[in-house]
Amino acid sequence: MSEYTRQEMMAIATGREIRDGELAIFGVGLSMLAGFFAQAHHAPNIRSLTEGGVYGATPVGGLPWGIECNRISANATSFTGALDALGFLVGSGRCDVGIIGAAQVDKFGNVNTTAIWGDPLSSVAGLPRTRLAGAGGANDIASSCGRVVIMAAHEKKRFVDRVDYISSPGFLDGPGSRRRYGLIGGGPSVIVTTLGILRPNPKTLEFEISAYFAFSSIEEILSSTGWNLQVSPHVHVVPPPSPAELKALRSVDTTGMLQRK
Amino acid sequence: MSATLSKRKNKLISLSDAVSRYVSDGIQYAPGSGLPVGAESVAFGREIIRQKRKHLHVVANCSSQQLNLLCAAGAVDKAELGFSGLEVYGFANGLRRAVESGKTILEDYSNLSMTLRFLGGALNWPFVPATVNIGSDIQWYQASAPELYPSTTKIPEITDPFSGRRLGALSPLRPDVAAIHVTFADPSGNAVMLGTEWSRFELSRAAKKVILVADHIVSPALARQFPNLIRIPDLVVDAVVYAPFAAWPQSSPGLYDSDETHMKLLNEALKTEAGYLDYKQRFIDPVETPEDLLHLIGEEKIETLTRGPTSFLADPFRKWILSPAAVSEIKGDNHE
Repeated sequence: MSEYTRQEMMAIATGREIRDGELAIFGVGLSMLAGFFAQAHHAPNIRSLTEGGVYGATPVGGLPWGIECNRISANATSFTGALDALGFLVGSGRCDVGIIGAAQVDKFGNVNTTAIWGDPLSSVAGLPRTRLAGAGGANDIASSCGRVVIMAAHEKKRFVDRVDYISSPGFLDGPGSRRRYGLIGGGPSVIVTTLGILRPNPKTLEFEISAYFAFSSIEEILSSTGWNLQVSPHVHVVPPPSPAELKALRSVDTTGMLQRK
Repeated sequence: MSATLSKRKNKLISLSDAVSRYVSDGIQYAPGSGLPVGAESVAFGREIIRQKRKHLHVVANCSSQQLNLLCAAGAVDKAELGFSGLEVYGFANGLRRAVESGKTILEDYSNLSMTLRFLGGALNWPFVPATVNIGSDIQWYQASAPELYPSTTKIPEITDPFSGRRLGALSPLRPDVAAIHVTFADPSGNAVMLGTEWSRFELSRAAKKVILVADHIVSPALARQFPNLIRIPDLVVDAVVYAPFAAWPQSSPGLYDSDETHMKLLNEALKTEAGYLDYKQRFIDPVETPEDLLHLIGEEKIETLTRGPTSFLADPFRKWILSPAAVSEIKGDNHE
């Protein structure tokens, strides 16, 4: 078995969630690498976009600094804009799948990327303790895509019972919430973490341990999670990266960002 | 060349004239594109700082090094944004300090909802129905009135009169002034943008005054050759500013890459007030003219940044680019 890093396992596990032929939207960084890995490995007919409206492009000269960076603009087949990418293709409900990141995520898959107060928001909330980057296009993706793949570093302070601020909606308060507010997308289908894979329980919509990486364990995941995390009866070990998967990932991770231990 | 342009068609003015004429304290200001790494009117923000404007209300899709600097300068009372970071370059430290200290009130939206708000302003709609932002704290938390949580006034709930479904109502935006970065503009304001437009098309119709901040001034013949590509036409433009490397240290697709070293140096400086003041003294105060900026960036760096992988994108347009001398001649005509 080939050697691989934890970051590579996470990117590959994320990429496995993307199916051939789908209309898919990626963010920057790890999420873009995971998406382009899927395209290079098992989903050659994926139609990928970034929220800037840069279509048909693959990164050139290293990992792009942003969704509008020259590195993702050097071989594009179309430049449009935010209304087209996030509105016509995502907000409309046309997009099959989106990949987003999270600073905090909770048991219903609600994502916070806006700010840390130290407690869930209430009417007494003052200034945030730490200001983060905001929702960007992730709120639009989480509201509207057929399904959403969330990527997050698995730490107790990030995996909380209730996020301080819902930047991007998961299942909100549980079953029925999304429909009640009029959200058209299907919600998060998976949280891929640095330790394993969580999926929503079909009845409660609470995320539970679906699988763990070979270098992790159920115990490690439980002790790194801030809510009373349940374990799926079908829990299993995630198959490690195959040589073909690693080859495909490394062909898109040209600067070796994920190969650093 | 200049003889062929009537006064009405010649909107070229200097960067400093544009700021002193159009930007006053307290206005609602839209920097365009509102992109953290890409084509953005950073030079315009630097001039706002030089002219010591205050109490700005900034509306944009995203933060940028322009907003980062304006916040560090204490010039922004309120900002409404979809995204407040610098993407892979990290969090925007100047903005972050201003928000955490309470100096700048940051009202959060998303990148689609900010675009829809510009669209609503452009169409002169009373509101825009939203199927995003609803159900999240973007709808419920109003930074300007946190005690109202959950807010019913920021993105009020409405009902679709046809289906009965619940929606949100987004307030439209009609900024007092938009300073929009474009790759090429002719002296009357017909502009071509290379790379993503982001929401510059909508913004150019929403703002009450539109100033183009162009990397290159081109002959009016360009518009006649590529009328389909003129997404910002002169009839919505009030002024045109010639500002080479206007987006620096950010990028302008087709012309130059983002200046990785300076992007990091700048954001690192903005971590502290002392760092900002030092940056200002070194990199803002000495820049009185666009030529000063080029001198500051330096020939060697300009050479590196312009050799990027997208430079072929500008090739079809190069023959219409006017020389700096030709541009000053036309601009000179405008001062009579």
